[in-house]
Amino acid sequence: MQSFIILLIFWIISPFFMGVILKVKAFFAGKQGPPVLIHYYTLMKLFQKASVYSLTTTFVFRLSPLMILLTSLSAMLFLPIAGYPAVFSFEGDMILICYLFGLGRFFTIIAALDTGSPFEGMGAAREAYFSVLSEASLFMIFIYFYRLHGSISLNSYLSSYHTIELWKYGQSTLLFIIASLYIVLLIENTRVPVDDPATHLELTMIHEVMILDHSGPDLAFIELGACTKLLFFTCILSRLLFPYNLNYAGLNVICFGSMLILIYVVIGITESIMARFKMTKTPKFILTSFALAFFATFLNWG
Amino acid sequence: MNLFIDSALLILLGGCIPFFCAFHVRLTKIIAILLMGCGCILGFIQSVRVLIHSQSSLETILCLNTFIFQFQFDTLSAFFTTAIYAISLLSLIYSFHYIHEQKKGLQIAIHYVFASLLIVSMLVVVTAADMITFMIAWELMSISSFLLILLDDHSPEALKAGYWYIIFTQAGTLCIFALFGCMYGFTGTLAFTNISGLHVEYKFVLFSLACVGFGTKAGIFPFHVWLPYAHPAAPSHISALMSGVMIKTGIYGILRIYSLLATHSLIFGYILLVAGIFSSLFGVLYALGQHDLKRLLAYHSVENIGIILMGLGLGVIGASTQNMRLAVLGFSGGLLHVWNHAIFKSLLFMNAGMVLHKTGIRSIEQLGGLMKSMRITGITFLIGALSISGLPPFNGFISELLIYLGGFQAIDKQVNAFILPILGILTLSIIGGLALSCFTKVVGIVFLGEPRTQINRNIHGEIGWTMLFSVVVLALLCFGIGIMPTPFIQLTFSPIKCMHVFGDDQILASLIDLGQTMTLVFCIVGCMFLFLLGIRYYLYAGKTIAHTSTWGCGFTKPTPKMQYTGASFASSILQFFHPIAPIHSPQQSVSGIFPTHSHLHQELIDLAEKWILLGFVHPILRVLDKQRWIQHGNIHFYVGYILVTIVVLLFFI
Repeated sequence: MQSFIILLIFWIISPFFMGVILKVKAFFAGKQGPPVLIHYYTLMKLFQKASVYSLTTTFVFRLSPLMILLTSLSAMLFLPIAGYPAVFSFEGDMILICYLFGLGRFFTIIAALDTGSPFEGMGAAREAYFSVLSEASLFMIFIYFYRLHGSISLNSYLSSYHTIELWKYGQSTLLFIIASLYIVLLIENTRVPVDDPATHLELTMIHEVMILDHSGPDLAFIELGACTKLLFFTCILSRLLFPYNLNYAGLNVICFGSMLILIYVVIGITESIMARFKMTKTPKFILTSFALAFFATFLNWG
Repeated sequence: MNLFIDSALLILLGGCIPFFCAFHVRLTKIIAILLMGCGCILGFIQSVRVLIHSQSSLETILCLNTFIFQFQFDTLSAFFTTAIYAISLLSLIYSFHYIHEQKKGLQIAIHYVFASLLIVSMLVVVTAADMITFMIAWELMSISSFLLILLDDHSPEALKAGYWYIIFTQAGTLCIFALFGCMYGFTGTLAFTNISGLHVEYKFVLFSLACVGFGTKAGIFPFHVWLPYAHPAAPSHISALMSGVMIKTGIYGILRIYSLLATHSLIFGYILLVAGIFSSLFGVLYALGQHDLKRLLAYHSVENIGIILMGLGLGVIGASTQNMRLAVLGFSGGLLHVWNHAIFKSLLFMNAGMVLHKTGIRSIEQLGGLMKSMRITGITFLIGALSISGLPPFNGFISELLIYLGGFQAIDKQVNAFILPILGILTLSIIGGLALSCFTKVVGIVFLGEPRTQINRNIHGEIGWTMLFSVVVLALLCFGIGIMPTPFIQLTFSPIKCMHVFGDDQILASLIDLGQTMTLVFCIVGCMFLFLLGIRYYLYAGKTIAHTSTWGCGFTKPTPKMQYTGASFASSILQFFHPIAPIHSPQQSVSGIFPTHSHLHQELIDLAEKWILLGFVHPILRVLDKQRWIQHGNIHFYVGYILVTIVVLLFFI
């Protein structure tokens, strides 16, 4: 129950974290930037609106926002937050999470193709392409974890004292994994330098172009889904970076939360100081994360 | 147990009787489907009973006092017969509306004769207990399916498909003959008996022969070349049968030989795992580059056979390293995937057949927007696509999860052989992503968007209910196995014992536990889905929904031609993999100030086909071409040849 409440709290404040990224970017650009709560305002606005649907679309288009939110929310169920055990856990849940994200991606892509728009098709093709590679690096990271501990459940890595043990076994190779996970995070959530969510040209987008036709509450669902997915990856990173269990429950959550904000700030800094890669360079970037995880696994083989 | 033979006879009867009432087309179809369907139901019930009670029995039929046919029904056979009966039944039902009534009755009757022969020969193959029975049924299966490919279509493509098929299948059969010859040489009996006493090197040779011989039928890379030709050429319900169950007889063959060899050697596991990795990766990559819907599905069979082999390979590795959890996970996952693939692949082939039936178009680049006119077909295809991509909560996910868990088990610290299982896990994840791209492409291009040509713009309404019935049943099965995997996982336990793998109760219980956990998880996710659906309904309540055309980014005159195509969707991925999946695209230079007609032709090159042609067929042809002078058409000289041969042979007596 405790885990569930914490999960709910973090989920509810996840749009706030997204606001942090915007604030950091504004700081680097020397602007004041939108308020930190901007995403709540956007969501409220979108929830109140009605939708415009293209005549080309079918039920798939209406179903996909739900599936995107559903899959990222259900992935959160398996995630231990701030050292508390996950709401739900079984041996092999990491694989299920990966495939849940795959299910969400499947629906995002077919919803994009449902509109018949060539731009959205382009985005869909890129999403499909990059996810093939990022999935491989994600599984390489799983293999690394499995070699350390012999389990494929997030609970046995991120809850209570397990993370400390992970550092004890993995030592410095875990830094490779953190870098690798950070790259996977950028890809899976289509952030700069893989994709620029703020670009104004549809031709160069990946994720944003696929949701061009969504509007109203549907768009809000997608935005929320994106927030949740980013939260999922940052939570893993945050726990790996702050593996300690403090005696005071509240302090634990606060430390975890501040680490979380720090990661969002780092994402913001990355977005501010880097430009989007050329499309041809992105696969190399993704394979970098694979190489990192691969070498970490073999350095730690023994 | 006799019910098996009764059901087979009933199916044969159902194939032959319509032959005599071919004057009435509808009557032909009804009699054939009813009789064969009853046979299938009968056999199905019996197979399931054998599986549940894990009985095994031996039956001998003496024919004309000289030929002895021996049948053996153990759980491994029953596992495969269950799939054969179920898929045959549904494809027979499907065939009722699929076969055009304008056709000649005789042709339809002949079609049912061969269909019944195909079904019965598949059944005999997986239950045969001696080599003669096995080989007769095996050849009958090859020939009847060959004739079914050619029956409908006399186009050059179909002929080419038929030739590829018959050449490959006969070459594979040669290997099986060699295998059986070796086995006979050792045991001195024609029955399938345990040959565990054989030296390990011989066993390796025998197993390799089995892998090549049965692998040709199963479609293991690089022996899969016939498959993408043969499956599209056959009528769709026959494609469903061939791809869903016939190629599985190859898997059965490998498993049977493995169980007869009764040796747990690591090298067998490696062979299967490597074959699986190559087949799955190449299969899905080549599928991605196809534009013909049925050809694409055929390549996916290669991929799924690869996944099955990966599971079995992990199982063998587990058995040989005494890691019983790994053995059970691998075999269970592989066997479950045999069923799952039979279900979703026949579903997809039947759906492809419905699209073909309605539009007459096989190229996905000319289709589009079919979800609006053929709703049930579209939804069932979507379910099939989700299943084959291994996404939850459908059946493909369950078997892939078991194989994944097996893979992880294999890289445990106690096991030394780690690099291949790691490659296996990575391959599984990559092909998961590639299958997802491939099926988003198919669903998106064929069923969604706007119709790309005039032909499929004029389509209205669904098609015959028998076709819909079959696909709906299969789609429900996909979903059912996905959310309630426990009983199906349990059914794979008894065939595993045939492989001399005896997992203790704790391991089996953990697998059952996993199945129940999956059910629970999917129930929770399902509740969340309903909750979100409720919220969405609430948010949209009382709001006016506007309809307009798709946002063209400022462009106001979009046409359906401007939509993204399957080729462009797949191009960037194929570009990445171009060393192993090269695309042949002859450059057409545009000349003149006002260039007129120009066209682009792109074709994915199957490296296996290319190298078999270059490295095997061409050298043989080059040598044989030089000997053409022998065959000059003068019959007198031919008689002379015979004479000379006999004279020469007389020297050796």
